[in-house]
Amino acid sequence: MYEVIEHTADIGLRVSAATLEELFAEAGRGLLALVVENPEAVEPRQSLDLALAAAAVEYLLFDWLAELLRVFDSRHLLLGAFQVQIDGLALRARASGETADPARHRLLREIKAITYHRLSVARVNGGWRAEFIVDI
Amino acid sequence: MESQRGYQGPLEQLDACRWRIPRAYKPGMRVDGIIYANAELIERVRADPAPEQVANVACLPGIQVASLAMPDIHWGYGFCIGGVCATDPEEGGIISPGGVGYDINCGVRLVRSQIHWADLAPRLEALVGALFQAIPSGVGRGGRYRFPNVELRELMVEGPRALIARGLATERDIEFTEAHGRLEGADPGQVSEQALERGENQCGTLGAGNHFLEVQVVEHVADASAAQAFGLAEDMVCVMIHSGSRGLGYQVCDDALRALRGVPESYGIVLPDRQLACAPAGSPQGRAYIAAMRAAADFAWCNRQLLMWQTREVFAAVLGRSWQELGMELVYDVAHNIAKFEEHVVDGRRRRVWVHRKGATRAFPPGHPEIPAAYSAVGQPVLIPGDMGRASWVLAGQPGSMRQTFGSTCHGAGRLMSRTAAMRGASKRQISEELASRGVIARAASRRGLAEEQPGAYKDVNAVVDVVAEAGLSKKVARLRPVGVIKG
Repeated sequence: MYEVIEHTADIGLRVSAATLEELFAEAGRGLLALVVENPEAVEPRQSLDLALAAAAVEYLLFDWLAELLRVFDSRHLLLGAFQVQIDGLALRARASGETADPARHRLLREIKAITYHRLSVARVNGGWRAEFIVDI
Repeated sequence: MESQRGYQGPLEQLDACRWRIPRAYKPGMRVDGIIYANAELIERVRADPAPEQVANVACLPGIQVASLAMPDIHWGYGFCIGGVCATDPEEGGIISPGGVGYDINCGVRLVRSQIHWADLAPRLEALVGALFQAIPSGVGRGGRYRFPNVELRELMVEGPRALIARGLATERDIEFTEAHGRLEGADPGQVSEQALERGENQCGTLGAGNHFLEVQVVEHVADASAAQAFGLAEDMVCVMIHSGSRGLGYQVCDDALRALRGVPESYGIVLPDRQLACAPAGSPQGRAYIAAMRAAADFAWCNRQLLMWQTREVFAAVLGRSWQELGMELVYDVAHNIAKFEEHVVDGRRRRVWVHRKGATRAFPPGHPEIPAAYSAVGQPVLIPGDMGRASWVLAGQPGSMRQTFGSTCHGAGRLMSRTAAMRGASKRQISEELASRGVIARAASRRGLAEEQPGAYKDVNAVVDVVAEAGLSKKVARLRPVGVIKG
């Protein structure tokens, strides 16, 4: 589950899930929904394997989201379906989606970057919760 | 603690346009915070968490005089938007990528013309349509120019001067660009392959968000001699372009912040917000960022140059005369997200400091050696875009900026409303029709994008400009009204 956090100039997301893997997948879907007005129209036509490692779990989330954003900006590939495995502070994932098609995808806004401002990942009530703000 | 509830700390009025956050407000502040605003604007400022960010910036090592914020201040990430922070490397002063922002050298350029509004008005719709067709805007759009690796590196070292040989810039264009569009010490070797990949086909593209290209008309001249020096006269058509370094710059900032993880701690720097990540300006990490940031800044000047070039081509095609015949000369190009190593007088002594301008514009006064000779008597042009329904301003730098704000002034109207609030307010309205009723033709790639950028989402730019004029940071030269808007 994700919800939008209000911010004067930018925009943020609060994401919650039962497991860390689901949290990362949900954060990825939330990010897509910030970029595309109709994320449900993004079909899993091609896949990409990603492997990341970081020194802390919030940095791992940051790197994951930043990578999804970079793939979109440089290859115009919208990614919306994720299989995520996390082992300690290492992530392996298969991300699926398709090339942006203005005829079917209503692109909403350009996200310049993920920011570290109020970036958090925490265990809450037996599940996981994350917050992040993106620069628009 | 920041929250959308607003700022709960002290704001002491110093005079009609300045408010102080005393150094004693929170532990770690090395200097006061000073916010430029009048009594009305300060209430808007107080309702936003941004003043807390002004106080946080005051904690940075080597900061000089005060953590400053212009009247268009609003909540950013780490640094507030509208902030100015000068640090002295001789006193352990830092350089901070967050003090520049992701969009390195986001800035504004203004092109004037000899076209009278009355002559253009019947062709405006065709012109705006043609501009929207020709100039790539919106999310994920590449451009018509491609600069593979080697050429991209050349642009990052030479800036728009490298475009002269390609027939896409003139000597005069370079002369009227801040820093001549080239920062000494730019090193593409410090720019990652990922950043190069993002920049390859984005030079000459507008992007989205608050970036725009506007056809404007000079509606009011406030200072006749300065306007004459800038080549501006009432009823003449201008074009204002607002964009930055696109994905290349965003990636440079992202890479730098990643490289700085754990670095502030290694220098014993305690930060109130991770997004303020920094390193001593003279450290290896600091120098690496500076070299990459300068390369991205040069790229941004190339981007605005190519946006202007495409605009000239469209005007020529639609109006059937060459851009030279139409008198489409560059008035000036200014950066408003940048860090520059500049000489300033601090405590009576000349010093070189790192001036971080995060949503603030350089405003050098008359006679400053870094402004074009043609403008030396009136001061550097300062370009202040407002919202797309009201007005934009041309100002000129004044001596007060050197005494008070490290040669800086405001950069725009400043946001008032969150994007989600703007969207809620616009859910049943057609922003483009509302703009049309005000005489503005707007074309945007995304209807929702237009809603997020609606005029009501911004402060009144006139109020912001009144404050910087009264404070002596810059003087009013001319007010421009939008007639055609291209948004991403």
